[in-house]
Parts: sequence; C-alpha cells; structure tokens
Amino acid sequence: MTPAGRRTALIAGLAAGSLMLSACVMGGGDGTTKKSDGKVSGKITFQTWNLKNDKFTSYFKDLIADFEKAHPGTDIRWVDQPAEGYQDKLSADAAAGSLPDVVDMGPESAYTLAKAGVLLDLNKADPKAEGRYVDKAWKAMTFEGLGGGTYGYPWYLNTGPSFFNKALFKKCGLNPGKLPATYDELFDQAETMAEKCSDTMMIARMPAIETFGEYGVPLMDAGGKKFTYNNAKGVEYVERFRKLYAKKGIGEEALNNLQTKEVEEFKAGRLAYLPGSSYTLDDLKATAPDVYKDLGIGPRISDSAPNMYLESLVVNAATKNQSLATAFATYVTDSAHQLTFAKKASVFPSSAGTLDDAYFTQDDKDPATTVRRESADQVRKAVVWWPPAFSGSADSNTLREQIAQALLGKKSVKAALDASVRYSNERLKADK
Amino acid sequence: MTLSVQRRTSLKRAARPARRAGSVLATHRWGLTPWLFLLPGLTVIVLMVLVPFANTLGLSFTDSTLLRQGEFVGWDNFRRMFADERFTTALLNSTLYTVCVVPCMVVLPLVLATLVSSAGRLTGFFRTTMYLPVVMSPVVVGLIWTTTLDKRGLVNALFSTLDAVAEPVPFLTDRWLLLFSAMFVTVWTGLGYYMVIYLAALANIDQSLYDAAAMDGAGAVRSFLAVTVPGVRSTMTLIAVLSSVAAFRVFGEVYVLTGGTGGVGGGDLTMTMLIQREGTGLQARTGYAGAISLVMFVILGALLLAQLALQRKRSS
Repeated sequence: MTPAGRRTALIAGLAAGSLMLSACVMGGGDGTTKKSDGKVSGKITFQTWNLKNDKFTSYFKDLIADFEKAHPGTDIRWVDQPAEGYQDKLSADAAAGSLPDVVDMGPESAYTLAKAGVLLDLNKADPKAEGRYVDKAWKAMTFEGLGGGTYGYPWYLNTGPSFFNKALFKKCGLNPGKLPATYDELFDQAETMAEKCSDTMMIARMPAIETFGEYGVPLMDAGGKKFTYNNAKGVEYVERFRKLYAKKGIGEEALNNLQTKEVEEFKAGRLAYLPGSSYTLDDLKATAPDVYKDLGIGPRISDSAPNMYLESLVVNAATKNQSLATAFATYVTDSAHQLTFAKKASVFPSSAGTLDDAYFTQDDKDPATTVRRESADQVRKAVVWWPPAFSGSADSNTLREQIAQALLGKKSVKAALDASVRYSNERLKADK
Repeated sequence: MTLSVQRRTSLKRAARPARRAGSVLATHRWGLTPWLFLLPGLTVIVLMVLVPFANTLGLSFTDSTLLRQGEFVGWDNFRRMFADERFTTALLNSTLYTVCVVPCMVVLPLVLATLVSSAGRLTGFFRTTMYLPVVMSPVVVGLIWTTTLDKRGLVNALFSTLDAVAEPVPFLTDRWLLLFSAMFVTVWTGLGYYMVIYLAALANIDQSLYDAAAMDGAGAVRSFLAVTVPGVRSTMTLIAVLSSVAAFRVFGEVYVLTGGTGGVGGGDLTMTMLIQREGTGLQARTGYAGAISLVMFVILGALLLAQLALQRKRSS
C-alpha cells in the first residue's frame, strides 16, 4: 500500500469506527412485540430505584430467591440505582438499546418509551393480565394516545391525606375544628390566614397538572391527543392562586419551590397545609415533634376525585426471555407480594381485591392506622390524574414557570396557560 | 538584472530549510510511525470532538428526539428558537453574565496578584486563602451561598440586625438579584485561579522596569498602570478569552442557586441550562437542543475571533 493509500485507509477506518459508534448511540428498539415461547427459563435483569437498602433489600432478595426456587433454571439479576436523574439513566439505556428486561417506572416514562416501541404491549403479550389488577390502575397504564396498548403491570399506588398545623390555625384566627376539604375552603382560609398573619402561609405549592385534575379541570381531549387545561376551569383555578399571591398568601419562594422545600417549611412551623403521603405521618413524628403535637389530618383536598400516583413494572419489548420477564413481573405484582410490599413500604396495592384486606380496613384508633385506613378509602376513589403524555420534567417545568409569570403579573393567566398548553402539544405532536 | 539575482538568492535561502527537512525524512524513512504517534490523540479528537460536533450539526436540522432519529426540517428549529421566549431570556442572561463577569475576572485577580506577589510573611496565607474557593466542590460552593443568601440566611439576618432593610432581600427569588448573586459566586470562585495565572506572568516582568519607574518618580498606582499592566497584557487577553467562554457557558452557579429550576418563571435560565433542559431526559428534543448548541457555538466563536483580532490590532 502506498503512503497515500495507507493514509486514506486510516482515515476511512476512523470514520467507519466513528459512524459505527454513533449508530450505536442512535439505535433503538423496533417496537415489535416478540412472540413468547412460553418457557420460563434463562436470565433477566430487574431494575428498581432506591430500593436496595436496609428496609427493602431482604424483601427483594427473598422474593427473587423464592421465584428462582419455584422456577428452576431461572436467574434474576436485581439492579438498583439511586432515583436521582432516573429519567436520564432510562434514556441512556433506551437509546443504547440496553434497557433491563423488567423495569420499575411510572406511567409518564412508560408512555415515552412505549411510544418509541421499546416496551412490551401487555394487551397482546399477556391478555389475561388485565383481570388481576384494579381497573383504574390497569387503565392508567393503557395509553389511548398510543392506540390503547397497555405497557406496564401496575405495582403499587400511593396517595395520602392532608396535614394541617392546627396551632397556626388558632394563631391566625381560623377554626382548627373546620379544616378545609375543598379548594374553595382552602383558598378562603388561606386568604384569612394571609390577612391575620404576615409570617405564616397556608399554601406553598404551585398548581401542578394533577392538582388541575383534582380541581376538576379537563386535562386532555377524549382521544388523549391534545392538552386542554387552558380552558375556563383551568383559568379559574390559577386565578385563585393569583389572587392569593396578590394578598401575600403565597410567598415568592413558593413560585420556585420544589416539594422538599414545602416539607421543610411545614416542619419548621411556618406553613399550615401539607398534602402528604401515607408515610408523611411517621416522618413528621420523627423529625418535627412540635408540629406533630398539634397536627390535624384530613382527606386530600379535591373538588373531583383525589389524585394517586402509580408505579408499574414494564417489560422490555426486546427482551430475550419474554416469558420469564412477564412471569417475574406478574409474580412481583401478584396480590400476595403486593400486600407484603405495601405493609413494608406504607403504600397501597394495585392488585384486584387486595385493598379489602383487614390491614387496610380495620382501625384500632392509632393515628398511623387511621391514616392508613383513610388513605386506603381514598385510593378507592382516587384517579391517576397525571396524564402519561405530560412529560415529567419539560412539561411540568414549563407549566410551573408560566404560572409563576402569571402570578407575578407578567402575563395574564389565560396567556400563561395557553403558552404552557402550546408547548406541551408541540412536544406531543413532534414526538409523533 | 539586479532584481533577478536578488530573487534567485532569496529563493535559494527559502529552499534551504525545506531541503534539510526533506533530507531528514528521506534518511529516516518513517512511514507510518508519525501516524502511530498521532493515533491516540487523533482518535480522541475525532471521537470526542469532531464526531459529536458533526452529529450536533446534523441533528440541528432535524426534528430528532432522543428515541427517534427524526427527519430533515431545514431551518425550522432555528425559526422556533428565535420565537421561543426562553431562548431570548437565556441569551440575554448569558450575554449579561459575560459582560459583567469578564471585566471583574480580568482586573480583580491582577490586583490581588499584585498585592500578594511580594515575598512577605503573610502572602502565602493570603494566596492559599484566595485559592481555596477554586478547590472547593461546586456543590459545596452552591450550598454555602444558597444558605447565605436565603431569605432567612446570614446576609439577611445581618441586614435585619442592623435594621438596614424592612423586608428580607430576595436574593434567590428576584430575577436580577439572583443573576447578580450568581455572578458574584462565579467571580468569588474564579479569583484564585486567575490570580495564580497572573502571578506566573508577574514573575516574568523585569524588576529593573519597576526600579526605573521608581527613579522616574512613579508611585504604586503609576507603576501598576505603566509597568504591570503592559507586562501582563497577553495574559489579560488569555484570561479575557477563557473567562468569557466560561461566563457565556455558565451553568453550575445558576443551577444551584435556583435549585435547578431556572429561577422564578424561568427568568434566570442560561443558554447551557436551556440546552440541558431540552437535550436531556426521556423526552429530550435532541434536534432543537442541537440547534441551540450550534447558535451558542457560533456566538462563542465570534466572541473569540473578536478578542483575538483586538489583541492582534493592539500588538501591531
């Protein structure tokens, strides 16, 4: 080979290598649902987030050992990662075509991956699964915007009561015996609190997509193809916040607050209302005993149905062991295992009939039991309001920013919601 | 005739080094050897710089998302960008950041370096103290300043004790105050780094120039302006270039002070934060993020070229 030829070959080799690498980066699943051979054997990877710790490790190790014992010839590799930036980790795995076989995730991440054809459609792969889960949990994983496929086995549900600092109610001229249960009551009492106490707030959380749902705002059109929360009801909801902000009933920090800050404020005794989850009570008892002493507990504030959050187990469409992956995901989410996990994690099961267990229905008047029973009642009425097509970061950031601009008077509420809806619809359309 | 002789002579002179280099190559017959030496560095540059750059360039003309390659959309991303109020905000913030931070980064470290350049008993202590923020983790720096500037933080507590303000100063919630707070943090963390660069440059200035200036009756300020500044002019250009690139690409300080949100109503978003927001996560719009990156590259390129041209003009 001549020097010039060698030079050309070297450059060509480098270019080809680079192209191959970039091709790897851009690669993705073909979205097809593979036919299962029905044989439960082989090896799969099971991915969870923040569950490998003192509290849960033994549960998952036993669960996996029991499954492997019941299904000889199977090998489940459990991988757990910190939940921080989990979307980035999922996106890196999905883009590289290395998504684990069974992954723990919420509906909005599942929606994006399902849209890209990365997840298994359980309506086709496991059509009998539907009857094993609470109907609304199954429906929450069924994406109308994607042709009605179901892309995850519902796992655990979470909702919680509203917590109130009754000492602040007394201090600010409110009756702690009449805790707010609707948005009207909440805003009215928040305005009174703002008038009477300049250093205390009732609300430190900006409207989010799920609270629009709780207020009764229609979030999307019937086909799940377009966002509609900029309608009159949506404007009415944000207007209540704008008026409260104008009366100094919401602090400027709240416009930028993440939920962690809200919890800190409540624990510090400067905030009167905290929408909590089933494990907030234990947290308050341990870390804010002064607030806990005068704690009021009421149902989640809602004018329609209360919100609940759902976690599911999805199956990689490209898994080499589809039968094993679906069998394992079914095993983890069956009634017996969900009940055990719910007791351990203070969450609620999504498997059909499990909520009727005495653990969720009987009340021995202990505050923790009362919260659990009331939250379980709430789960029966609750809805997963967060539309799966509403992205976890981009859409919710835009909504929060636009509402903040409306509250600061930089634009009208209608203009802010229009901008947010336009952004979300644009993303939805672009991701065709 | 004279002219042709001169031309031939100069041509011969010019050809001499080339002939010598040619003879070295001919003697050694290196073949592929230089390429093998170049290969590791070249591979890194190609894979880590050129391919990603070409990829970004290509992506910016598509509607690609993270999980979908997308189609060619021409200038659509750029049209959308200039209609996007977040882009305008980010561009304004990054530009303002550069305009305010760079002069501070060029001048203040030079003053500090001049103050601690002499070999005194305490200069070592001062040098170390000023360099300390450079070695601190950005997360720690962020936590320190978030706690200090918070509504209930140290600064507001001090103001309140002194009865200097009726209400806490909203350092972390007011758009402009937050941006200027972030600039302050950038300058605070960068001073020590650029001070060390200036110290190296100051060591190269001939002491006799200061002696001559002193003999001419120049005081400390006059010596600084007439000897020190001209002596470190090329270093000043280097620092201006480095700090302007860093300032335009600011991310960490604003990200930490806003808790990762971009400030109230997104008013403190910077170019890099916008790229991060659009280009990461499951719903990443890689095409749009690529277009923003490309615009940022062009702006930074123009900034660097302008500074280099200015430097050349000054030198000539």
